[in-house]
Amino acid sequence: MEKKVIPEELNFQNNDKMNLTMIPSRYARFMRTCVIWQFIRFVVLNIKMLIVVRKSH
Amino acid sequence: MARLVVLGGGVSGHTAATFAAKWLGSAHEVVVVTPNSQWNWIPSNIWVGVGDMSKQDVVFDLAPVYRKGNITYKQAKAISLNPEGKEGADTPFVTIEYTGQGKEGQTEEVTYDYVINATGPKLNFAATPGLGDANGLGEYTVSVCTADHAVHASHELDRCIEKMQKGERQKFLIGTGHGMCTCQGAAFEYAFNIESKLRKAGVRDMADIKWISNEAFLGDFGMGGLHMKVNGYVVSSKLFAESLYAERNVDWIIGAHVNKVEKGKAHYELLDGTTGVEEFDFAMLIPPFAGVGLKAYGKDGSDITDQLFAPNGLMKVDADYTPKPYSEWKASDWPRTYQSPAYKNIFAVGIAFNPPHLISKPAKSPNGTPINPTPPRTGMPAGITGKAVAHSVCDLITKGEGVQLHEASMAEMGAACVASAGRGLLTGTAAAMTVYPVVPDFDRFPGTGRDTDYTFGEIGLAGHWIKQVLHYLFIYKAKLKTGWTLIPE
Repeated sequence: MEKKVIPEELNFQNNDKMNLTMIPSRYARFMRTCVIWQFIRFVVLNIKMLIVVRKSH
Repeated sequence: MARLVVLGGGVSGHTAATFAAKWLGSAHEVVVVTPNSQWNWIPSNIWVGVGDMSKQDVVFDLAPVYRKGNITYKQAKAISLNPEGKEGADTPFVTIEYTGQGKEGQTEEVTYDYVINATGPKLNFAATPGLGDANGLGEYTVSVCTADHAVHASHELDRCIEKMQKGERQKFLIGTGHGMCTCQGAAFEYAFNIESKLRKAGVRDMADIKWISNEAFLGDFGMGGLHMKVNGYVVSSKLFAESLYAERNVDWIIGAHVNKVEKGKAHYELLDGTTGVEEFDFAMLIPPFAGVGLKAYGKDGSDITDQLFAPNGLMKVDADYTPKPYSEWKASDWPRTYQSPAYKNIFAVGIAFNPPHLISKPAKSPNGTPINPTPPRTGMPAGITGKAVAHSVCDLITKGEGVQLHEASMAEMGAACVASAGRGLLTGTAAAMTVYPVVPDFDRFPGTGRDTDYTFGEIGLAGHWIKQVLHYLFIYKAKLKTGWTLIPE
């Protein structure tokens, strides 16, 4: 039977510590550098940070 | 004319001095005493340390900026405080020793009406044998604490990359070099920027990267970690930190007190009392921080250092320093005005003030070795406390004593932190986080100690863009360019 290799899942077998955490899927990793989505997040994060900055002064 | 002397020109001191000079105008004098000739945007040192930026990208000369800001600049280090003056003269003064301006080694007594201690930390490499000594960084490890250290680290990293390109496997050890370190965030950034750099160089498969830290769990960051809302859950930063380490295949050792460094070897003790040795080809271990060693003398010349400073060299301010167990820690223990209880015209801001206790839960190994992160006070808290104290001093000078001092408790302020995990306009990532408040307040926010509406974190390209924008924005602000006061701390 053909071996099914999913690169983002390989690190689970590195050690017990890594085996017991969560590792992002290919989709989650793609969204991290998806320019359109990240531009939206850039705007949202800036607004959220400015609110925290405003609350702190 | 009153004189305000600011000791230190880092984020906190620079903020305090520049705002005070602007608010006081030419009617009063602001003096900055700093041993450095250049200002360094320290958060970008990690990019210098992997060769993605040059030293010149993260520093600029202070003298022209202080000329522009109408600030008297003395390139010198503060040696001691005489808060009551000396015999025959009642005016308080600071004794300084020049490190530049053609007066190297000369001492001077600078009188003051108010003094703000923003001397920052002494990088205490000597606390761990082999990590360095009283003169600074040792020969076995690298550092990104200063721009020059980061340049050296980058050269060492290049050597390792060359070896890997020739087929020689390399071990990287990144983290904290002592059980009482702070600044895990900088080491975190450096670890993941190295990982990113090695991937880009095509040698990631030839590298074993390991994290070693005094945190009790990954994602503690000296703040006891943080809880945030994600996809309908409220989760600990531990989960996200571990996820990133596993994703990038960075193994970790936590709860570790590095007690000795030798060539290629770091000896450590863990929270469970066991000991171990980790081998490395390249190591960046953050040193613990201490006060810079300012002394204080009474009018008669007697040593009164213990009245102004804690044994670690950090200045005592209006905090509640009563020793108490973790269960009794309160947000109200933290200082609000940063005024010295001993002398009302002395303040300490940024890293220079002594925190009342840790933020993370205290921990000791069975051998009695304390292994826990000390509280972070860099970045946003340093800037905010510097500005608040500058405001207080300006009010004291212009309106007279008895005015209400401005307050900036770390238990009531938030902080935004952007931790780079690799640089690149379209490929970079960074963890963008905010916490509110920095010091958990379990009375106001039972459960997590923080407001989860304003405590969040996520990793992505947007975070990298924010870190890049902040780099330019804060250097622009520190150079006092048009509109600098509009940029928040």
